Amino acid sequence: MTEQLFAWLDERLDLSGLRAFVAEKTVPVHRHSVWYYMGGITLFLVGVQVATGILLLLYYRPSASEAYESVQFIVSQVEFGWLIRNLHSWSANLLILMAFVHLFSTFFLRAYRKPRELTWITGVLLLFIMMGFGFSGYLLPWNELAFFATKVGTGIAGALPFVGDFMVRFLRGGDDVTGATLTRFYGIHVAILPAMTTALLGTHLLLIQRQGMSVPPSVEKREKAGETIPQEPFFPNYVLHDVMWWYVALAVLAALALFLPWELGKKADAFAAVPAGIRPEWYFLAMFQTLKLIPSHVLGFEGEMLGVMGFNVAAVLLFLVPFLDRKNPDGRQNPFITFAGVVAVVYLIVFTIYGYLAA
Amino acid sequence: MATWPRNFLFAALVGGVLASAAPAAAQAAPPSGCQTCHGDQAQPALAAPARDFAGTDVHRDRGFTCVDCHGGNPNETDKAKAKAPATGFKGKPAGQMVIAVCSRCHSDAALMRKYAPKQRVDQAVEYATSVHGQQLAKGDTKVATCVSCHGAHGVRLVGDAQSPVYVLNVATTCTKCHADADRMKGYMLPDGSPLPTDQRAKYEKSVHHAAMVKGNDLSAPTCNDCHGNHGAAPPGVGAIANVCGTCHTVFATKFALSTHSQIFDRSCVECHGNHDIAEPTDAMLGTDKAALCTNCHTEGDNGSKAATAMRSEIEKLKEAISHSQALVASAENAGMEMGEQSLALREAANQLTLARTEMHAFDPKPVSAVLQAGLGITAKVDSEGQAALAEVSYRRTGLAVSLGAILLVVVALALKIRSLRA
Repeated sequence: MTEQLFAWLDERLDLSGLRAFVAEKTVPVHRHSVWYYMGGITLFLVGVQVATGILLLLYYRPSASEAYESVQFIVSQVEFGWLIRNLHSWSANLLILMAFVHLFSTFFLRAYRKPRELTWITGVLLLFIMMGFGFSGYLLPWNELAFFATKVGTGIAGALPFVGDFMVRFLRGGDDVTGATLTRFYGIHVAILPAMTTALLGTHLLLIQRQGMSVPPSVEKREKAGETIPQEPFFPNYVLHDVMWWYVALAVLAALALFLPWELGKKADAFAAVPAGIRPEWYFLAMFQTLKLIPSHVLGFEGEMLGVMGFNVAAVLLFLVPFLDRKNPDGRQNPFITFAGVVAVVYLIVFTIYGYLAA
Repeated sequence: MATWPRNFLFAALVGGVLASAAPAAAQAAPPSGCQTCHGDQAQPALAAPARDFAGTDVHRDRGFTCVDCHGGNPNETDKAKAKAPATGFKGKPAGQMVIAVCSRCHSDAALMRKYAPKQRVDQAVEYATSVHGQQLAKGDTKVATCVSCHGAHGVRLVGDAQSPVYVLNVATTCTKCHADADRMKGYMLPDGSPLPTDQRAKYEKSVHHAAMVKGNDLSAPTCNDCHGNHGAAPPGVGAIANVCGTCHTVFATKFALSTHSQIFDRSCVECHGNHDIAEPTDAMLGTDKAALCTNCHTEGDNGSKAATAMRSEIEKLKEAISHSQALVASAENAGMEMGEQSLALREAANQLTLARTEMHAFDPKPVSAVLQAGLGITAKVDSEGQAALAEVSYRRTGLAVSLGAILLVVVALALKIRSLRA
């Protein structure tokens, strides 16, 4: 029966070719192989987000008068609603953490080298989209902290030269954070960003399958010297390994969801006093803290504008890494790129911790 | 809180205006001859009026001058001529003359409408009914007149925080005289006992003073809210419940239904005191040592039984609320959403407040009905709190089982991968 079904599909979809590709596909095994799984874990967490997000959609109501109550209903009345909401919140954070780990592991292993520039660019875009998911999703429960954090966060866009005011109004759907912002963020969160993710993630995965796994320069050097780098079959070895890591991520997620449930807090009230300790989610904290430290005016320019422009330049440089790292096309370590990467990691960790302690 | 008596104070904010001389004045006048001469006086008592009137003064701001209250000719440089009888010079008004001078304008509705149309114009009439006014009529010149409270020169609006009759300054202004034992010597209460001078000391210990000074509640009562201002007098026996009831309406209504309202000479004051009203507590009710009921009731009488019953039921609801709050907090700490239950407990606390109010009718039945409603709420919250804690336990068991299963799969996968590599 199964064979008949396979034959029927094969006749129409050429599954034999795909099966042959998977059967022949191998993955290099070396001492840095563990970093390959970071992308897999990130992909798994995207899957968790999609599944839990769809379930939340069944009960969530995107309006200023009902959003908070609907989330309250989900966590208190809906069967396993608490689990779904906690998984969604924790998975979102783990997803961004793993996306950063994946990005920096790719960076330090120089996996963006030719011909994988497009994989890198789609990856960086996906990281930014994930942060966009985080920013838009944070507001959706319509609680006090999220409301004021969004007010601050969207306000920062106003520092952009020329387009600042437009950006603020575009993001908020008006001059201030209101119910219009909530419905706007909802649309971005459940339609626009998922559509972009589908396209980019599809491209990203297709490129990986098409080009195979990159090996670090040191391994490549050994390979060029004539050494045979061990390979393992993609299926079932690598896939099983990947799945094993997914289970580990699932266990961590489940434990976090139960023991550290995501607080709902108080319902947003535009007329309430701004609560103490307003700060963005941890993945924006380093940038937020940096903006706080920049003086109001630097060399006649507005400090906040310079900070925001600095982040934009950093983002552009991040996209251009594969093209900037051209001094050593043979794969030798480029000390400046490594140094820049180390500085970026140290900066992000130190300023994130500083942001927590300062708040 | 009755704020309207304070508005009456506002009605007397202008200390001395002569109706015929001043109504046309509308702009601050330049210094007159009176001010020039008085300003140069070495004697502080003579220089002060000129100095004070030159500062902030509501009358001067509206164009009134010295002549409007004192008469005289400000254009005359010779002192004798300036104060000649033909100029209508009155000198320094005192006693009934102060009332007459002030009320010339302040009792003139047509005139006052031009300056402060919302102000009342019956201050002088009210004053005549006050203990101050009655004593003055008997020839007692030590009593307070308009200027004693509002000042004569440098008069400020009642809403001005520096005015002696601004709500926060009323107690200080009244007790300038009433806390002065020498000044109060010889004055008696209706029962023949000497008029006490410890009102302010007592008031400062009261819940009303705390509400005003610590709680920044400017509607909290001060002297004039209970005694009146222009018609200041102690509330008479039988009027106390009405006076307290202007703010504590429900308590007064309940108290009026009680047997106590027929028995207590001093109604509310019998249990709560007057100037030193303390924060009421449940300990005031019942038959134990701290309870006030034992002042009149003896063990076993109907009042004692009622007090015991009401107190024990109140304590029961307090304990139930406390227990439910702990349960809800425990469930919340475990990550359960307990918003509805927290809200229900607030309603139970409302029932407790309602019972404490109902208690003033001193009838255990309606008190019990309210408390039972509160206990019904706490019972429901307890049941939901227990269910939430059971749910927490269920979730933890579920997690342990799931983690065990996941771990098994991870181990199985690791073994499989190892066998494949081998």
